[in-house]
Amino acid sequence: MTTLAANKPAYDGQALDLTGKSGARAFKNTLATVLITLAFVLAMIPLIWILWTVVSKGYHLLFDAGWWSESQRGITVRREGGGAYHAIMGTLIMGLITAVIAVPIAILGAIYLVEYGKGTRLARAVSFMIDILTGVPSIVAALFIYAVWITIFGFNRVGFAVSLSLVLLMLPVVLRSTEEMLKLVPDELREASYALGVPKWKTILKVVVPTAFGGIITGVMLGLARVMGETAPLLILVGYSKNINLNPFDGFMGALPTMINQDRTELALQPAADRVWAAALTLILLVLALNLLARFVARFSAVKSK
Amino acid sequence: MSVNRLLRVGSVAVASLGVLALSACGSDPEPSGSSNPSSSDSSAAADCPQGTLNAEGSSAQKNAIDEVISKYNEKCADVTVNYNPTGSGAGIKQFNASQVDFAGSDSALKPEEMTAATKRCANNAAVDLPMVIGPVAIAYNVEGLDKLVLDGPTAAKIFQGTIKTWNDPAIAKLNSGATLPSAPISVFFRSDESGTTENFSKYLAASGAGAWTGEPAKKWTGTGAGKEKSAGVAEGVKSTKNSITYVEWSYAVDNKLGIAQIDNGSGTPIELTAESAGKALAAAKPAGTGSDLALKLDYATKEAGAYPIILVTYEIACTKGLPAEKTALVKSFLTYFSSKDGQASLTDLNYAPLPEEIRTKVDAAIQSIS
Repeated sequence: MTTLAANKPAYDGQALDLTGKSGARAFKNTLATVLITLAFVLAMIPLIWILWTVVSKGYHLLFDAGWWSESQRGITVRREGGGAYHAIMGTLIMGLITAVIAVPIAILGAIYLVEYGKGTRLARAVSFMIDILTGVPSIVAALFIYAVWITIFGFNRVGFAVSLSLVLLMLPVVLRSTEEMLKLVPDELREASYALGVPKWKTILKVVVPTAFGGIITGVMLGLARVMGETAPLLILVGYSKNINLNPFDGFMGALPTMINQDRTELALQPAADRVWAAALTLILLVLALNLLARFVARFSAVKSK
Repeated sequence: MSVNRLLRVGSVAVASLGVLALSACGSDPEPSGSSNPSSSDSSAAADCPQGTLNAEGSSAQKNAIDEVISKYNEKCADVTVNYNPTGSGAGIKQFNASQVDFAGSDSALKPEEMTAATKRCANNAAVDLPMVIGPVAIAYNVEGLDKLVLDGPTAAKIFQGTIKTWNDPAIAKLNSGATLPSAPISVFFRSDESGTTENFSKYLAASGAGAWTGEPAKKWTGTGAGKEKSAGVAEGVKSTKNSITYVEWSYAVDNKLGIAQIDNGSGTPIELTAESAGKALAAAKPAGTGSDLALKLDYATKEAGAYPIILVTYEIACTKGLPAEKTALVKSFLTYFSSKDGQASLTDLNYAPLPEEIRTKVDAAIQSIS
């Protein structure tokens, strides 16, 4: 009893003030706020820095009429002029082919994992393989395609081979995001559909996929944005060309990452340096445009729940 | 739902329209110097085939071949030439794997590479055609030192690391009258494997009088700090006081670095010019067999006025065995490359034109390609 009595006086004397924070707690609160804000600012510094550098050094070439419509044919590193048309088209073409191959496989695979294969041994195996594929570095994907496409089949280096290796990189990204989106679709929707006598395939096609459509599109666009900036497959699987080549099955092909790489060694020369920054900015803008498009599509295609 | 679908279709349509609009207006830029292209058609390159030529290899000749392609296109607008500067080794590999139509390399084909190349050319010999002479400059950055003279042994000792300061007696002896700082010498070298390193260390081994102990190789064996690619070492010297490196002439000029004059033992220091570099190549001996034009450079040459540190880039092509349309393209382009016009355009870019004697041999070898 004596110990209790000894503890008691701490609460006596004055009334407990609950209106404000005590000094120590206020201090901890401020400290945490400052630290968190500081971490945020630190994380923002490189981002702002990169954006500022690229924009300030690259913007003026983008306003050249020729930048979006001309190639670099006949333009040496000492000469101004020309554009990035060949590289933009190369990046878009290879990206488009990649998407055309990867997206159906990824979406159908995700549908299998969520709707049909749940819990089966095959689904677990596929899921495991996708996890492994997610961790494959781009250079490994590129060398794998090199081994198959060129060493075994004896084809030439072409844009299509780049697309094939990009498929390996895009597939797991899109499949995983689609899987997550399909999982978010409430089971009540499926059950309601079944209760009305709708077969399973039609339920998936008309109820499940449309409900998740916005999320799926976002995943596709993010996957596309990720592979468009990849450089390793471009270096290994296709030669860089300064000329316009719209045929992904024949010849060298330009792309924005390799365009940057090409003139990177000549930064002492102003025309080359300008083009490097402008190409970098163009790539960022292209990826940004895709992301905006994804947001746009996702917002307007969302199923309204009334 | 129908409104959604409409919007969905709409946005996809807008996106694809944008792509189409972009694809509709793409073109090649107007050639810069083509006010009257017909006037310069006097040379042999007048016969222009059509098609695409793909080549790959040495990055040392990148600027040279880019310029020549640009000039060639003023004559032959229907030929597209792509050159991928991925390095000599990669170029030979891609050539032997039939991925490209000709290769550029800083060293002639080695016997085992020649075997593979012969196979690639449907059992016809491949040929090494010396095409671009790229002098290697010893570039330095020392405040107030406008002129620096080095000889083989001194250069070898600097790059080996046995001479450590700028006011070393060996340097002072060659540069009487110049004020040399007592600061230590910072040496920069190419950290990537490079034909420039190989040729420069060959020079140090040949004329260093034993001061250079390493074997000449694509990988640097001397002292110093490594930087990636020519741009890296040039930038390193530019931003570091009292530093020195070896780099292709054009990079030394573009970065406004000091370029050392070389005393090759003839008595007078030799400034690096297109002419003095060409003289050194003229002193080279043929090393190839038959019509092959591989050269053995004499790095220890004592000939007056010959700048000894040069790098020769070869174009490697099939003598026979390519499909007829590719043969025509290779022949047409290389003919222009080795023509007087083609070689003359390289001087402005700090390469040296081929000496006339070698140029005619190269041209003859190209004409015999069939």
